Amino acid sequence: MKTLRSFPGNRIVWHAIIVGVVWLLLLLLNNNIDPLYSAYLALVAMYATAMFGMTILVGLSGQVSLGNGALMAVGGYVFALTSMNWQTVPFFGWEWNAVWSMVFAGLGGVLIGGIIGGLAARLKGPYLAGLTLGVAVGVPAITNRFPELLGGENGLMLTVPYPAGGYAAMDAGGEIAGEADGDVVVDPGTDEGATGEDQQYAELDLTEFDQGNDSFAEGDLLTEGDLLTEENFDAGSDQFAEDDLLTEEDFGTGTDLGIDETAADPGGDAGGDAAGFDGAGQDESELAGGGLIDAFDSEFIIERWQASMAIAVACIVAFAALNLVRGRQGRVWKAVRDDPVAAAVVGISPSGSKVSAFVVSSLFAALAGAVFAQILSFIGPGAFGLGLSLSLLVGIVLGGRASLLGAIIGALLLVWLPELVDGLSGERGWPEQITNNAPNLLYGLLVVVVVLAAPGGITGTFKSWIDKAKGRGRATLS
Amino acid sequence: MTNFVDYLLGGFSNGAVIALMALAIVLVWRSTRMVNFAQVGQAMFTTYVALTVQQSSGSWVLALVVAMAAGLVLGIVVFFLVIRPVKNSDSTGAIIATFGVLIALQAGAGMIWGGDPQGFLTPVDNSGIEFAGRIWPISLYDILVLVVTAALVIGLTLLFTKTNLGLSMRAAAFNPEVARLSGVRVNRMLITGWAIAGATGAVGGVLIAPVSTISPNSFDILLVFAFTAAVIGGLDSLIGAVTFGIGTGLVISLVSGYSDSGNAPIVALVLLALNLLLKPDGVFGHHGARSV
Repeated sequence: MKTLRSFPGNRIVWHAIIVGVVWLLLLLLNNNIDPLYSAYLALVAMYATAMFGMTILVGLSGQVSLGNGALMAVGGYVFALTSMNWQTVPFFGWEWNAVWSMVFAGLGGVLIGGIIGGLAARLKGPYLAGLTLGVAVGVPAITNRFPELLGGENGLMLTVPYPAGGYAAMDAGGEIAGEADGDVVVDPGTDEGATGEDQQYAELDLTEFDQGNDSFAEGDLLTEGDLLTEENFDAGSDQFAEDDLLTEEDFGTGTDLGIDETAADPGGDAGGDAAGFDGAGQDESELAGGGLIDAFDSEFIIERWQASMAIAVACIVAFAALNLVRGRQGRVWKAVRDDPVAAAVVGISPSGSKVSAFVVSSLFAALAGAVFAQILSFIGPGAFGLGLSLSLLVGIVLGGRASLLGAIIGALLLVWLPELVDGLSGERGWPEQITNNAPNLLYGLLVVVVVLAAPGGITGTFKSWIDKAKGRGRATLS
Repeated sequence: MTNFVDYLLGGFSNGAVIALMALAIVLVWRSTRMVNFAQVGQAMFTTYVALTVQQSSGSWVLALVVAMAAGLVLGIVVFFLVIRPVKNSDSTGAIIATFGVLIALQAGAGMIWGGDPQGFLTPVDNSGIEFAGRIWPISLYDILVLVVTAALVIGLTLLFTKTNLGLSMRAAAFNPEVARLSGVRVNRMLITGWAIAGATGAVGGVLIAPVSTISPNSFDILLVFAFTAAVIGGLDSLIGAVTFGIGTGLVISLVSGYSDSGNAPIVALVLLALNLLLKPDGVFGHHGARSV
């Protein structure tokens, strides 16, 4: 390893290998767990993406910002607006513009983050925290300022641009298949199998569908009514039943991800709309009905797709973050955090370093926001306010402020703790008032305890234990 | 023109409350050199306590007194449990810790009192006073708010200028080392600062509650306004906090009157950003907000 450290090129290769292996493992995991857990996996990956930025901003650069929730909103809104209005921009032959929308979401984050960062990065701790607090609280006000564009308080429902072909075959189909037999290995399916399942879809009763849907919807953010109506659902299954003829090509070659890439047909969009995501759909009329067959053949499980998409973004961001944090720029950020004057003496621009940390974290936050919007099929001020910013801060502090691994652990905590409390509450029969607030109470208390007793968070504490065991001194931050 | 006067008059009582919250932030800053982002959360909590007292006893005065006492106690508790241990560690940690307190207080209040907004009864009439042939945008309650605020500000001014305690507190804030050498019990002064700040915020909470309703998050926006006012005032200056607290209230009232009350947070943000860009030390302040 010693020789590796001295060759930056090798370090990047190593990072690529590490991230690549983790990516593969996560995809394997995603394809072999219940879709319900895939939904959690998607959330964890999304939080981790945002919190890699927090690692850099709060941990390495030492700036406490509450603006990252707002920057996630920027990413989410840019994603929603671009994906709704530019449906047909091709991306390497795919009628799928999600990647372009992601790029624009990232650019939006960089732009807004650059502006806020330029204002804020010259400020001392409490002033910066206060200014960004204002940004976080101001999100609803800003969205209400432009009700036609941003949908005001109600936000925007978005037609999530799935890769062509494997469109919504569908949240219902995949889910029920998974639930019915508990076997979640994705299988492109044979004629008989598919037909059998098709009948299952047709017979499916609505309550079952609803339950499945509940499992990933974010509580009060989405109501079932928003996502699908009985009519939509019926329409979807009726059309399917009519089109029961399947051809060999329709099956294509489903990938591991359960995304049928070969069955590239633009009709996927329309199919999806028919299946219920009609909130913001605008080109339903275009190809209605045409692509339904394909859509229903491939076992497309929406949670799987969301998770694989979120994991992809998280891994790409993790790779960038690893190289930044463990490279020269990481040392620059730490130097400015620990002693701005000394850093300036050796030729580092302290304010430049702080702005760069802000911009990088804004980019990551915006990408995470775009992912979040896709997971929710929705973007609105309620989900992206002060609460989200505070969650990110909580996650990064608990996981370990200056560690990328800490960001991942923090993301796991943010998703797992509410579920744990929910489970406990179900067992013990706690009133709703307690259940709803218990996670936040825990978070608040844990943050205080961690700051007082273990400023390095979980990873920092483990690191200092290991160092102690090795007989080295103590290590707190980073 | 009448509109302008009406909007301006309507902003005074809100401004008074913002001034009280800003005062609380400044009092904490003067004693421990940190911004207590949980200040408004503490006020929210004590306002719930006051609400409970008012509902069971029916007395507004008793509710106000209990809220002040609760604010005093909560300030001391937060200081002992969180601030004193964290004060000497990193400054980033101190900021994060106050947010931790805020999260815990909001969740705690939600657990005890529920998340639904609740109304708070006013002790006196809260509709516009009719005088000289027209209805003015000021109610008896607004006047009560202004009187209570003025009494508190005068009391604090007297405390800081005319008493030994106030002198010691100023000394401890100005230069803890020298103060300690001169026999001032600095730590005790810090506690006193946090306690007074807690009580001041508590009064602000009780005063605003009938107008804004109360829920665990309903005071978030007040934190932004109060922070804006405190920073523009210089974070260090009691006069600055009061002046710009009321000033912020007036600006918000004008903005709400002429456009939409939803724009108030944006205006606060713009004010804050402009201030930090152009005059980061605040109008009455001495210390550098900018580090680089």
